[in-house]
Amino acid sequence: MRSLAGLGRPSLLVALVFSLLAVAAFIAASRTGRRDLSEAGKRALYATFGFTALATISLITALLAHDFSLGYVANYTSRSLSVPYTISSLWGGMEGSLLFWTSLLTGFSALAIAKAPARNSRLVGAAGAVLMGIAAFFLFMVAFPGNPFAQVAGDVPVDGNGLNPLLQSPGMVIHPPLLYTGFVGFSIPFAFAIGALFTKRLDDSWFTATRQWTLFAWTALSIGIVLGGAWAYTELGWGGYWAWDPVENASFMPWLTATAFLHSVVIQEKRRMLKVWNVTLIVLTYGLAVFGTFLTRSGLLSSIHTFSEGPIGKYFLPFLALLLVGGLGMVAYRLDSLRSENRLDSLISRESAFIANNVLFLAAAFTVLWGTIYPIVAEISSGIRLSVGPPFFNTIFTPIGLAIIGLTGIGPLISWRRMSKGSFWRMVKVPLVAGGVTVVALGLGGLSSPGALLSFSLCAFTAAAIIGEFIRGSRVYRRRDNVGLLTALNRTIARNRRRYGGYIVHLGVLLIVIGFAGNAFKVERRADMSPGDTLDVAAYTLTYEGMRTAGTSEKDIFEATIAVNRGDDDLGSMRPQRNLHLAQGQWQSEVAIRTNPIEDLYVVVTGFDTDQSAVIRTFVNPLTWWIWMGAAVMLAGMLVVMSGRIPVAVAAATKAPAKREPAVAQ
Amino acid sequence: MKRLILMSLVIVALASPASAQSPEDLANDISQKVMSPFCPGVTLHDCPSQSALDMRDRIEGFARSGMSEAAIMERLETEYGEAIRAEPSSEGAGIVAWLLPALVALAGGALAVTLVRRWSARRAKPIAGEPSRVATSAAERQRLDAELGRLRGES
Repeated sequence: MRSLAGLGRPSLLVALVFSLLAVAAFIAASRTGRRDLSEAGKRALYATFGFTALATISLITALLAHDFSLGYVANYTSRSLSVPYTISSLWGGMEGSLLFWTSLLTGFSALAIAKAPARNSRLVGAAGAVLMGIAAFFLFMVAFPGNPFAQVAGDVPVDGNGLNPLLQSPGMVIHPPLLYTGFVGFSIPFAFAIGALFTKRLDDSWFTATRQWTLFAWTALSIGIVLGGAWAYTELGWGGYWAWDPVENASFMPWLTATAFLHSVVIQEKRRMLKVWNVTLIVLTYGLAVFGTFLTRSGLLSSIHTFSEGPIGKYFLPFLALLLVGGLGMVAYRLDSLRSENRLDSLISRESAFIANNVLFLAAAFTVLWGTIYPIVAEISSGIRLSVGPPFFNTIFTPIGLAIIGLTGIGPLISWRRMSKGSFWRMVKVPLVAGGVTVVALGLGGLSSPGALLSFSLCAFTAAAIIGEFIRGSRVYRRRDNVGLLTALNRTIARNRRRYGGYIVHLGVLLIVIGFAGNAFKVERRADMSPGDTLDVAAYTLTYEGMRTAGTSEKDIFEATIAVNRGDDDLGSMRPQRNLHLAQGQWQSEVAIRTNPIEDLYVVVTGFDTDQSAVIRTFVNPLTWWIWMGAAVMLAGMLVVMSGRIPVAVAAATKAPAKREPAVAQ
Repeated sequence: MKRLILMSLVIVALASPASAQSPEDLANDISQKVMSPFCPGVTLHDCPSQSALDMRDRIEGFARSGMSEAAIMERLETEYGEAIRAEPSSEGAGIVAWLLPALVALAGGALAVTLVRRWSARRAKPIAGEPSRVATSAAERQRLDAELGRLRGES
C-alpha cells in the first residue's frame, strides 16, 4: 500500500478552518434563526468531518505502508506487526488517539446535526457551534502540538519500534475505540444542553433530541470498561480485572455521572423536575470525559496505561476549565428558567428513590475523582508524597455500591408520586424474604465473609424485585391473550422496552456484583517448580511437566505444560507462556485460564531458568465468569432500551398540567 | 418474616472471615496494600515486573521470620517512604483523603433529604385559589391503596 501521509497535515489545517467557519455560521444561525446560515454551518461541519476523515485515512495508509519517515509510525509499528494490530496502533499513541478522537467527534457531530429536528433550528445552531468549537480545539491539538504526521528526526529507520506487546491483544483492538466512542458520544448531549442554555429552550427538547446518543455513549463506555477489565485479566497476569489505576478511574468517573443522568432524566420526563440537576450532570459527565482524556494523555499521572507523555497538558487544562466554568456558569445564569414545574408529593415515591440513587452515584464519582487526584493535591499543598490505591477505593466504594444495589431493588417497587407504607411493605415482602433466605442458606452453608453475605443477599433481594416486575407484567398478557409464559414475557418487554430493558440492564449489574463478591474467596499460590513438581491450589493439583520453546518473526515463545487434576479427575493440560517480543526486547506473559461459572483456574509463568525450572503463579478466582456474563446481559438490556420509543401516553402526560396527571402507580 | 430478617442480621453480624494466615497469604495480603515502586500507579500485587516479584518474596521472608503485618508495613515505609502505603494513613495529610468523600456524601445526602422534605412540604400546603382536596376516610384510603396495588400489579 502507498502512504498518503502527505495529505494528512494539510487536511487537518483545512478541517480546522472549516470548523471555525462552522462555529461562526452556527452562532449567527442560532442568533438570527436564519435557515441559510444554518445550512452553511452544516455544510462547513460536513467538510470538517470529510477533511478529518481524510487525515485519519492518510495516517492509516502510512501505518499500513510502514512509512517510517513519520515519527508516529516508527514509534508504534514494525514490519512484523500483523495488519489488525498495525491499524490498532492508530490509537496506541497520544497523537494518533487524539486524531481518532477528533474524527469520531466530527463524524458524530455530522450525524447528530444532520438528524436533528429542523424545527429546533436555533437549538441545533447553538449545539452545532459548541460541537464545532470543541472540534476546532482538537483539530488545533492534532495539527500543532500533537501532530501525528511529524517527520522522524534524522535518518528514516529501516524498521519501527513496534506496538507495546501489552497492546497486542484482540481486546485492545476494541477496548480503546469503545471508550473513545463513549467519551466522544457524550459531546452530543453536552452540546445540546449548552445550546439549550444559550437559546433558553429549556424544555425537554435538548435531551429528547439526544436520547439515543446518550444511551449509545453510555453503552459504548460500559462495554469499553468491561473489555478493559477483560484485557487486564487475560493479559497482565495478576489474576484481577480492576486495579483502580488512574486511567481506569478516568473512564469510570464519567460512567458514574452518566449513569446518574440516565436515571434522573426520567424524573424530568415524567415529572418535569430536576432540570438544573440534569444539565449539571451532563456538563459534569462531559467535563470528566475530557478530564479522562487529559489524564491519560497529558502524563500528569504516570500509570501503566500512560504509554506516552506529551506537551499537551498545558492546552487541555484551560480547555477543561472553559468547559466546566462555561457550562456550569451558564446553568447558574439560567437558574430561574430551570425551576421545576412540579413538586414531590411524598417522601415514599419513586422520585425520592431516584434522588437517593443520584446522591450515591455522585458520591461515588467524587470518591474516584478525589482518590485519583489527591496524591497531586497533597504534594502541591504540603509537599508530602503519598499514594491512594485499591484499599482506599474498596473501603469507600463497597458501602456505596451495596446501597446502590439495594436501591436498584427498591426503586421499581415504589410508585411515582406517592405510595402508602402498607402498599410499600406488601411490595417489598417477597424480595425481603429472598434476601433473608439467601443469607440464612449461605450462612448455614459455611459462608463466613460478612461482605459477601451482604452482597449476595442484596443481589437476591434486588433480583426478586426485578423478576417480580416481569412476572406482574406478563401475568396480564397470560390472562388476557391466553398465551404461554415466554410469549407473555416477550409482549411485556415489547410494550415498554425502556422500562423492561432497564430492568435487564439491572439484572446484568447484579451478575457483575456476584462476580465481584466471589473475589472475597480468591486463592493465590506461587511456586518455583522443576519438571515433575506439584502445587496444590484450593481443590486443584497442578503438575509442572516442562517448558517447550518455539519462535516467530515477532517473538520467542516459552510455553509451560501443566497437568491439572481435581481430586481424581484429570482435567487435561494448561499451557501458559512467557514470551520475548523481539522488536521491543520486552518479556510478556500469556496467561492460561480454565473458566466455568463456579471458578476460574488462572495460571501464569512469571519467570523460568535454563534448567527448565519455572516460577508458576496460580489463582483460583470464584465466580469471575459471571462478570463477563453480566456485561453481556447489560448489553442485551441496552439494545432493548435503545430499540424503544417514549410511549405517547408518557409524552402527553408530561405536557399536561401537574394537577391533572392521573395518579397511576407506574 | 420478622424472624427471618432477625436471623439474617445475626448471621451477617456474627460472620467473620478466617483469621489464621500462612506467610504466603500474609505476603499476598500485604502486596495488595503497598504500591509497587516499579509500576507507577499499581500495587505490588498487580505489578508484573521481576523486581516486584522479588520484593514480594522479601515480604514473604519477613512473614516467615514471624514479623506481624504492622511491623512489615512499618519496615517498608521506613525503606520507601509514606507513598509505599496504598491507602493514606488516618492521620496527618492522609486524613483529608478519607474525610472529604465521607463529608461530601453526607452533605449530598443531607441536602437531598432537605430538598425532598421542602418540596413535599410545599406540595402539602393548600395553594391559594386551588380547590381544597376532598377529605378521605381511612376505609377509602385503604380501598384506594388496594386498587392502586392491583393496578400496579397488572401494569
